[in-house]
Order: sequence, then C-alpha cells, then structure tokens
Amino acid sequence: MNPIVTKVILAVGLALIVAAAVVTRKVWLSGIWHAVPSVWRIAKITVAEARRRRVLRAVIALVIVIIISMTFFSYLSPQEQARMLINGGLSAITVFGILLAIFVAAFLIPNEIENRTVYAILAKPVRRFEFVLGKYLGALIVLAAVVAIMTVVLVGVLLVQDRLVEDLPDSAFNPNIGQVVFAAAMSYCALAVLTALIVLISTVSSTTMTVISAFIIWVVGSLQSQIHDLAENAAGAAKLLLLVMYHLVPHLENFDFRFQASYFQPIPVPAAVSAVLSGILYTGVVLIVASVFFNDRQV
Amino acid sequence: MASADAVLEIEGLTKVYRSLFTPAGVRAVDNLNLTVRQGETYSIVGPNGSGKTTTLKILLGLIFPTAGSATIFGKDIADLSVRERIGFLPEDAYLYDCFSGEELLDFYASLFGYSKARRRELVDELLTLVGMQANRKVPFRECSKGMRQRIALAQALVNDPELLILDEPTSGLDPAGRHQMTLLIQEMKRRGKTILLCSHFLAEVEEVCDRVGIMYRGRLVAEGTLSELAGEPEETVVTATGLTGDLAGRLSALPTVREVTTDTVRLDHVGEKDLWQVLQVIHEGGGEIVEVSRPRPSLQDIFVKAIREEAQ
Ligand SMILES: Nc1ncnc2c1ncn2[C@@H]1O[C@H](COP(=O)(O)OP(=O)(O)OP(=O)(O)O)[C@@H](O)[C@H]1O
Ligand SMILES: [Mg+2]
Repeated sequence: MNPIVTKVILAVGLALIVAAAVVTRKVWLSGIWHAVPSVWRIAKITVAEARRRRVLRAVIALVIVIIISMTFFSYLSPQEQARMLINGGLSAITVFGILLAIFVAAFLIPNEIENRTVYAILAKPVRRFEFVLGKYLGALIVLAAVVAIMTVVLVGVLLVQDRLVEDLPDSAFNPNIGQVVFAAAMSYCALAVLTALIVLISTVSSTTMTVISAFIIWVVGSLQSQIHDLAENAAGAAKLLLLVMYHLVPHLENFDFRFQASYFQPIPVPAAVSAVLSGILYTGVVLIVASVFFNDRQV
Repeated sequence: MASADAVLEIEGLTKVYRSLFTPAGVRAVDNLNLTVRQGETYSIVGPNGSGKTTTLKILLGLIFPTAGSATIFGKDIADLSVRERIGFLPEDAYLYDCFSGEELLDFYASLFGYSKARRRELVDELLTLVGMQANRKVPFRECSKGMRQRIALAQALVNDPELLILDEPTSGLDPAGRHQMTLLIQEMKRRGKTILLCSHFLAEVEEVCDRVGIMYRGRLVAEGTLSELAGEPEETVVTATGLTGDLAGRLSALPTVREVTTDTVRLDHVGEKDLWQVLQVIHEGGGEIVEVSRPRPSLQDIFVKAIREEAQ
C-alpha cells in the first residue's frame, strides 16, 4: 500500500479512537482494564459453543478433502504441481475461511438476540462493549483454529508430496513451507478484519442485509485496485460512491500473498507489515463503532 | 415518594415502541410509578401485552425507557454495580442450549469473577436447591420446560442477589412444576430476598405475594396488599344440607338473607346475632350446617373488576 495512504489511515484511525472515547465519556476509559476478564469469559463460551456445532467440522473436512484431492491430478512437472497445490490449497483456505467468517460474524450477535440468550448475560455485570469484544474474540479464536487446522493439512500434504517426488531425477518440488504458512496467516488477518466489519454491520441491520453486505464487501475488498482505477475515470455520484468504497471497505487484497507463496517470490515485508498494522487499526476503529452501536441497541 | 426502605423505585416510566408499521408507536408502558420495599414480594399482574415484560426489561437495561426513570438500591438502573446485586429470570428462559445445567451455571457464575473452586461449590449448591442434581449433565436443549425453568432460576441466583426479578416464573409449567416453583420462591422469600415478579397466574401470586400491582395497557390500575385490594368481605355464606321447601321459604323471609339455593344461604355481611338466627332456623328446620364462610373476592375478581373499570 502507498505509504502516504497508510499514514492517512493511521491518523484518521487514531482521531476516530480518541473521538469515540470522548463521545462515549469516561466509561470506556475507566472500564477497559476491568473489562478484560469479562471479555475473555464471553470469548471462551463463544468458542465452547462453536465447538459443539457440526458446521465447523463439516467446513474443515470439506477443505481437507479439496486439498488432498488436488494431489490426484497429473501435472506437467513437480514444480508445476507444487505451484498448483500451494495456490489451490491457500485459495481453498482463504475462500472457505471467508465464507465461514461471513456466516460466523453475521450471526454472532443477532443469534444471541434472536435466541434471547443475551438477556441473562446482559442482566449480569457485563457491559455492552465487553459483550461485543468477547463475541468478536471468540470468533477470532474459532477462525484461527479452523485456519490453523487447514494450514497444517496443506503443509502435511506438501511435505508428503515432497518426499514422494524426491526420488525422481529432476526434483524441483521443494515447497517453501515458511511462505505457505505466512500466506495462510495473512489470509487469517484478512478474515479478522472482515469479521469485525460484519459484526459492526450486524449490530445495526437485519441478518439478511448483513450477509448480503458481507458478500459485497468481500468482492469490493478483493478488487480495491480496480475500484481505485474505476474511481479515477468516473465522475459525479459514481465517483463518490467508488471513492467511499475504496476508503471504507478494507483492502483485503493487501493480505493476499498466494502469488508469492506459489511462485516462490520473496515476501514484500514492508507491504505485509503495513497491511497488518492498518488492519489492526481498522479493526480497532470498527469494533469501537460496533460497541457504540450495540450500546444503544434495544435487545 | 422516596421511602427509606425502597429497594426499587420506578417513576413516570414510559416506553413507546416505534416501528415502520406503527409510526405513532405502541405505548407499552405508560407513566408507571411503582415502589418495591425491602424484603417484600411484589407481583405485577396483568393480561397479555400489558407491559410487564417491557417494564422488567427496562429495569435490566435491556431496553431503554422513552421517559421516566427507575432506581434500584438508590442507584440509577444504568449503573453497572446494580447488576452485581440483582438476579433476573427472563420470560421463557432461553440459555445456550448446547450446554448442561452445570456448565451454564458455571459460566454465569464466572461473569461475577468467582474463582473456580468457589464456582464448583456454588454450582453444586444451586443444583441441589432447584432439584437438578440428578440432571446436572443434561444439555439444556434436552431439558423439559420444568427443568429449564429451574436452571434459569438457579442462573438468577448465582450472585446470591438481594433483589430477584422474575418474569413469569411459572409459565408453561404443569401444576406440579408450578407448585415447585412457588415453593422455591417462598424459600427465596424466607432467605430475605426482595422479589419482583410478574405473572398472570393469579393463584400463585396469592400464595407468595405481599403486594400486588395490577397492570393494564401499560398502567398500574390498582395496587395494594391482597386484603387491601380485596376489601372487607361483603357477605356471609352458610353451606348446609336440606334447604328445601318450607325451610327455604322461612330462610328467604329473614331480612338479612339475600339468596337461598339448595345448599347455600347467602346473607349480608352481618353481626353474630343475625347469623345465629339463621343458623338456628336451619337447625330447627332439619337442615345440617356444613360450613360458614365470609369469602373475600378472589384476586381474579379484583383483577377483572379493575380491568373492566379501566377499560370504560
Ligand atoms: N420489541 C417490541 N417492538 C414493538 N412492540 C413491542 C415489543 N415488545 C413488546 N411490544 C408490545 O408492547 C406491549 C407490551 O408487551 P409486553 O411484552 O411488555 O407485555 P407482557 O405484559 O409481558 O405480556 P405477556 O403476558 O404476554 O408476557 C405489547 O402490546 C407488545 O405487542
Ligand atoms: Mg411478558
């Protein structure tokens, strides 16, 4: 990402954090440290609940099947095979990760309201923002576990393939495990950012609208450079809309390192660091806004 | 209005639900004033949709009032420290349904920051109290309505609250379940807890409540202790056998008697002398006296009367 843009995002983000803290009075500031245990307890129960749902296991199983079945195809060369396996595997992890994130996030809080499980919790000494952060943290842990399991499987498959083709005379399989893991971790960062934004939307709109917006955000977020080009050439309302999208929707493509991992290119470290930092900032701001909205939500 | 021993005070509370379809809004609670005193059991009784749940939800900060205010323990309800000292049983208790009673209680107790050892003890105690020891490991979704309601009550008790707020604790329960719930509420009362509950099961309210507020269309239309609401008995009823023919005629002729049927004599609420006269006539006429009573109007009657008056 352009360093100037990063700085602008940083500045705006900080300003928003300060503004939110001031607007919502000192409750936030004084209570933040006290909130840590509550957030953690809600995260834990969220994770425990997710572990008992079959959907998660189904998604993990599906991705594992996809990754393993990719080894059955025939490839031109071991290198070609490595490339396809890495790219395909990472793509499966990213796509299913995002699909899972969309559904987990869109129902994370609305389900609690719908099932009225939120009553018993908010009647306890739990602040609204602690609830939002706890649910978010729980979702993050669940998604981390899912991505980790899928990544371990991908790495395992790559290592096994490496062994199998090692005996061939022209061995060039040689997967770069470090890069694969790195790319998967970056995909996970994209999920984390996306999840926060969807949670925010879910606090103000219906579940259907949340899911629809989530898919739009996914598409727009993955095509930000095209959006930028389109905005350059557009005019009037269209230009404004594109610019708003460009600046508000997270740049998911900045977290995409599938190309580097599968073509054995060096990782552009500054770009990755900048993506992670602006992602954290963006997530922070989004979660604060989500908490402010949920604070006024009648449940 | 502020009294020294008030645990809960509601002043001018109003809640208007607005939506796209009802731009004028639904006035669910309308200028409600209510005080619950230390140690008393207060019941809000009202027909469906009279605003009982809305009132309780406002007290717990789940929804926000359109106007008016409420304090608990002298503090504004928005104050988080209030929730350290109250317990809430939601209507149609829904808890996370994939966990067992034991797990749920442990979780709710953890929200108060209790240590693991303390929670284990507490959960054990609560399960025993509500009679769920044998079923402590049954997932909530597999629990019967009665078991759910008992876990939900235990959930409201994890912090040993001073004020218990119960939204229809007996709804959906069979007679045995209702009886058990009533016993549990009486036990809480014995332990000195202040209780605010709402219900439309008038019979149990009569059993457990010190004071009753009758709510209708968001307003409190009558309030008081049961005897205050019931007022003085208006008539005396003598139940007897053999009230036929001649005897019935002679009874009807007495000035205090209102009505004679085959087995009862209803007379104005009268002094002992007049009553004796009636009894003597029955006795001499060959009738056998079964019972003499001075019934107060039942809560049901008061309820219907109050609502009818309000509706006019
Ligand atoms: N979220 C809501 N949005 C709009 N109207 C609502 C909402 N919740 C309740 N109402 C309306 O407010 C009124 C009071 O409802 P409330 O649930 O407080 O009644 P209640 O006395 O608890 O009734 P019940 O005995 O059936 O539980 C009803 O007319 C109801 O339709
Ligand atoms: Mg109700």
